[in-house]
Amino acid sequence: MTDHITIDQTPALPPEKPRLTAGSWVRQNLFSSVRSGILTVIFGVFSFFAFKVLVNTMFENPDRDWLAVKTNLRLYAAFAYPITQFVRVWVALGLVLALLGLSLGIWRSASAVAARTIASRLIASGLTVLAGTLLVGPPVLRDEAGEPVYDETFEALRGTWRSGLEQRTGWFLLAFALVAAGVALWFGLGSRRNTLTVPTTLVVWIASGVVIGSTWVVRYGHYGLDPEGVPVGDPDSLVAMSTRMPWTVMWLLVAVAYQLGRFVSRWNSSRLLITAAWFLAPFIAFWVILRDPAIDYGHVWSTDLPMFLGFGVLGGLLLFLLADPKIGELGRFIAFLLVVVAALTFVSGFYGWFSMLQKARISFCLLALFALMANNFAGDRQTRLRFAGAWVLLIGIAHYFITLMNSPSTLELRADSFLGGFLFTMFAALFGLMFSFPLGVLLALARTSTLPIFRLLATWFIEFVRGVPFITVLFFFDIMLPLFLPAGMEAPDMAATVLGLVLFSSAYLAENVRGGLQSVRRGQYEAADAIGLTGAQRTSLIVLPQALRVSIPPLVGQAITTYKETSLFAIIGVFDFLRVANYVVPNQSTPVNFIGHKLEGLIFVSFVYWLGSITMSKYSQNLESKMGVGER
Amino acid sequence: MTTEGEGTLAGMQPKRVPLYRDATVVKWVTQVIALLLVLGALFFLVEEAGANLKAKSIPNDFDFLGINPGFNISEGIDKDPNTGGRALWVGMVNTLRLAMSGIVFATLLGLAIGIARLSDNWIVNRLASIYIETIRNIPILVQIFIIAVLLGSAGRLVGDTGPINGWFMVSSKGLAVPRIFPSDGFYQWLVVLAIGTLLARAVRKRRVTHQDLTGAISYPNLWFGAVLLLVAVVGWFVHPVFGFLNNLFNEIGDAWGSIPQSGAKLVLAAGAVTASLLWIRRFLNSKRSPAGLAKLTDDDMFRMIFAVIGGLLVAFVVTIGWPGLSSWIINSGQDFWHFLGDKFGDGRTGNPVDAMRPTIVGEGTLLNYGSQGLVMSPGFAAMFIGLTLYTASFVAEIVRGGILAVPKGQSEAAAAIGLNRAQALRHVILPQAVRVSLPPLGNQYLNITKNTSLGIAIGFADVVNVGGTVLNQSGKALPVIAIWMLFFLCCSLTISVVVNWFNVRTRIVER
Amino acid sequence: MTDTSVADTDRLSGNKDMIVCEGVNKWFGDFQALKGVTATIKEQEVVVVLGPSGSGKSTWIRCINRLEAHQGGTIIVDGVELSNDLRNIEKIRSEVGMVFQQFNLFPHLTVRDNVTLAPIWVRKRPRAEAEQLAMDLLERVGIPEQADKYPGQLSGGQQQRVAIARSLAMEPRVMLFDEPTSALDPEMIKEVLDVMKDLARGGMTMMVVTHEMGFAREVADRIIFMESGEIVESGTPEHFFTNPTEERTKLFLSQIL
Repeated sequence: MTDHITIDQTPALPPEKPRLTAGSWVRQNLFSSVRSGILTVIFGVFSFFAFKVLVNTMFENPDRDWLAVKTNLRLYAAFAYPITQFVRVWVALGLVLALLGLSLGIWRSASAVAARTIASRLIASGLTVLAGTLLVGPPVLRDEAGEPVYDETFEALRGTWRSGLEQRTGWFLLAFALVAAGVALWFGLGSRRNTLTVPTTLVVWIASGVVIGSTWVVRYGHYGLDPEGVPVGDPDSLVAMSTRMPWTVMWLLVAVAYQLGRFVSRWNSSRLLITAAWFLAPFIAFWVILRDPAIDYGHVWSTDLPMFLGFGVLGGLLLFLLADPKIGELGRFIAFLLVVVAALTFVSGFYGWFSMLQKARISFCLLALFALMANNFAGDRQTRLRFAGAWVLLIGIAHYFITLMNSPSTLELRADSFLGGFLFTMFAALFGLMFSFPLGVLLALARTSTLPIFRLLATWFIEFVRGVPFITVLFFFDIMLPLFLPAGMEAPDMAATVLGLVLFSSAYLAENVRGGLQSVRRGQYEAADAIGLTGAQRTSLIVLPQALRVSIPPLVGQAITTYKETSLFAIIGVFDFLRVANYVVPNQSTPVNFIGHKLEGLIFVSFVYWLGSITMSKYSQNLESKMGVGER
Repeated sequence: MTTEGEGTLAGMQPKRVPLYRDATVVKWVTQVIALLLVLGALFFLVEEAGANLKAKSIPNDFDFLGINPGFNISEGIDKDPNTGGRALWVGMVNTLRLAMSGIVFATLLGLAIGIARLSDNWIVNRLASIYIETIRNIPILVQIFIIAVLLGSAGRLVGDTGPINGWFMVSSKGLAVPRIFPSDGFYQWLVVLAIGTLLARAVRKRRVTHQDLTGAISYPNLWFGAVLLLVAVVGWFVHPVFGFLNNLFNEIGDAWGSIPQSGAKLVLAAGAVTASLLWIRRFLNSKRSPAGLAKLTDDDMFRMIFAVIGGLLVAFVVTIGWPGLSSWIINSGQDFWHFLGDKFGDGRTGNPVDAMRPTIVGEGTLLNYGSQGLVMSPGFAAMFIGLTLYTASFVAEIVRGGILAVPKGQSEAAAAIGLNRAQALRHVILPQAVRVSLPPLGNQYLNITKNTSLGIAIGFADVVNVGGTVLNQSGKALPVIAIWMLFFLCCSLTISVVVNWFNVRTRIVER
Repeated sequence: MTDTSVADTDRLSGNKDMIVCEGVNKWFGDFQALKGVTATIKEQEVVVVLGPSGSGKSTWIRCINRLEAHQGGTIIVDGVELSNDLRNIEKIRSEVGMVFQQFNLFPHLTVRDNVTLAPIWVRKRPRAEAEQLAMDLLERVGIPEQADKYPGQLSGGQQQRVAIARSLAMEPRVMLFDEPTSALDPEMIKEVLDVMKDLARGGMTMMVVTHEMGFAREVADRIIFMESGEIVESGTPEHFFTNPTEERTKLFLSQIL
């Protein structure tokens, strides 16, 4: 019963419009009236010069040195992660991509692109590249060190147009290849181009395949250099080529995972499992793969395992008892007692009555939570066994990860920052959002609850967080988190920032979910009450599935915002994607002097951010039109 | 009626429900436990933080507000503040200045782009949509960095006049335009304008009545503007007659000084609290109908809570905080009334408003803009341009959505009753579009205000940046963060109150 | 107040009291929706509640299922008093089925899942058993072939029949119907009424708020007429339709017949 959020699978085809001839198209869209004609001329000239200025500022400008980006791609990707251990980064990335592929396969989107659109887009982009290549000025002359050569008036010397054309053969080839592909598609399909559609997922996959595959054919890119100036990886190969093998593997992995996802989507539990896997993924990626923890096995045998067995067996037995439908109020009483015990474990630690491992305290909290839920999972023997089994599994996973967190990392780090660059940005956005989601749902439920204290607490929290800028929340956590922790425990900046992100976006998510909750009609609550569901059952079986479905588009919008908001980490001093561009590379003097070369990196960074968020926003528009939201 | 047996009324004594099964008890006990857990968690965190702070011997007080901060601020109403509080105030003013200019320009640009997005000219339409799709999908911080870099690479400031004969100058030191500033007679003129506004309103009301009675179109708004303009022009020359206010305010100040301060403060504070209580009573009365008190929403609750807080805040400021607070804000040792009196006076006969061209001071390579012109520092310019461009892309989408949200039947109906296109737009489409657009627009204004905090990334002296400097120097993290958050909460609240007010108004207009 | 005693039909005389209401009061703000409603409904009795709109009849039966909390008087269902006692509320909810005017099916679940929800989650029955029960019930209301569709794909009459099946899946001892045919197109009313007649014949205790006079006349053991929160008159259908004693009843009947 987890597949409520499936979207209607009919592909959205644009209504057939009569095709215009080129002449009448121009007349209708550019010169329909005198006013329109004047606008066309003015803005046509404007866009020509704007485009020219743009490409010239970006490329053939003496201040530009794109090597600053090309040789530092490794920093942009993962910052100071040890080069020898880079395979870990690939495995972590592979984990996320595999999950992504599986999810895409399970929650298949039916969006499709018309072949006609693909062909015309290919031709248009080819022509744009061609125009850009022709519009940039002659190349700036540079000396051996790569510095531009200036004349007496401090104007950079430039070569001839002809030399420029020779240097840009690659770009010309790219332009022609794009146009040729588009034309081939256009005429190759003949009249079928108007009817044939290709799934968007396939288009994206093929396009990325072409990019990745091209590294096997064309030698482009640049050497990645480590701080000593030694080329990174295979000394004979360029960055693009030295990473072609892993990228190809990733590319194939996504395809395999997608197919697997399609295959397993017929099982109802696959959705539950993949969701659980997503929630485990950050811990596995971060603590297992990237940190390679040195687990103290002596401690494991002496303390961890006995603790797990104790909590697992005794807790399981207790929960099995509590899930008896006939237990009645006694169950509530025991659950209440457990809540008190869980609270006491913290109080006692604070006043030093008796010490206790943090793990035990967390376990007591989890046990209390399960005990509170037991009533809803009561049933026959099998249901009760399953409930107790879920407890054992969860406590096992929780204990495992707590052990991992307590084990030191085996990696020797060159810088104080453990993880950085785009990898960190991506992980923070993805996992921050993931964890803020349940919190946001809880807040939304509390805010719409009939219980005034819950409502008040949630309202104040949400309105407070929404009233202050993200950066102040980040500062708060950056400064306060170390103070909140008991002595001896340390939290890296990264943890503080992600915690801030989770709390911050949970308040916004809560408002989105609240919109969905308000769209669930009153009769649904009454019907659920009338058939005797408990409050928790009513919420989880009836209300939330309907509310979340409605709030998917605004939730994706919030995901985009969160993704963009991660850039603020740079201000706190975390070496995220933006900070590499804005701070690290422009201050790099060895092996190549890139001091002051900020703009290249910023343009590169904005392109990557743009690519990510435009993908999500197109996806959300697609969903919205398919769900009939926003159309009237 | 049956009278025997279990389960019938007569044989049944009212049974007492055990507490653990009583719905009301369980409901409240659950909530109280949750509240206790939340409060407990907060308590432990705060205790822990307090202990840790003590261990690091960082006191958590607001002393820094009163002592010399020991740093200069790069721009603002006071570049060399003599107290920490004053420094923060300068930062707040900078933030507000940036937010307000951003709001105005983002709205205008967004309106233009939103309309361009609906144009049937392909190029205009495309350019607008490329603008929107590019700008709004790149993080604002990255854009601000890019603009800052581009501005930084503008030419160096040179000694001679700028591009347009010294009226307008661009360099890596920022932009400079002539400064228009309130001069000698400004406050006197302001009084004239206030009187003029009242007068113009009275005239407008008469015109409206006239139109209502006779049906003749009588241009009330035109009359309003004309009267105001007339008064403003006349006031430009006659404003010195209000010089007498100088004496008035000074005498009020003297009288104020001569009465026992504590008593007066107490009366004022009591007045503020009474006013807020009276407001609540009026509010509750407005919610009361013959059928009894309507169910109060959270929103109503918050209004009442904020009314109480507002009253208490005024009381607090009047009784305790005023001398300190006034010295941050008006930076003068005088009390408020004498400060006000100084703004008027016999010597003030000059023009109310004056303007000056920007100048350049300094020698050699150390040239900088002088204080005459209105200088937009590189930081302010980057923030302003970045915020305007970024927010305009969202405003454009809101404008477009608002216009598209008006059903097609509306314009058809307007045409059917014989309105022309302009009339239909003015009386039918726009009022509805505005109603749809206002709440999200208010959200964008809130976002601009909050995004001004990014100034810290490029060194613009906003409240977060100044606060950050204070924080670094004094180490008093919690108080500074509290001031930040309180300040932004106040801004958010103000904006949402204003937007709500407009919202209610447009709704009434529509009805 | 007029006599509210049980109609003296033979088939009910020995049955025990199923629903006992005594002096039930309910306020919405200042407005009193129920003014001391007192009535007893026997096991297997079918009671139709009539009255002009706003007379409190819906409020009354919603109180019996605790969708609204009554504020004075006593409601006893099958010997269990409806009070603040959580255990009693649970018990009564699972013994009293309710059918709404707007169906209120769960749109995100298939018809089958709608019907099995309560047996699985409230009655804690194994899924296979619950599904068997669901199919039996859908058979009984005449739409077994729609089991895998979503509510949105069904007609109003079919939806209401699913709603009845969903309530029956709880194996309730009492069924409450809150204007079950008011939101239906005329041609679909009959199919729902037929199902209800079947139920009545099968011996279900039923309380029906409706405007269907034909149904009332044919099926009801007793008709209760309410106006402005009070029971005005109660009696057998013949008594009610042929010679009502109260003026208000006569007025009401003259307006609708």
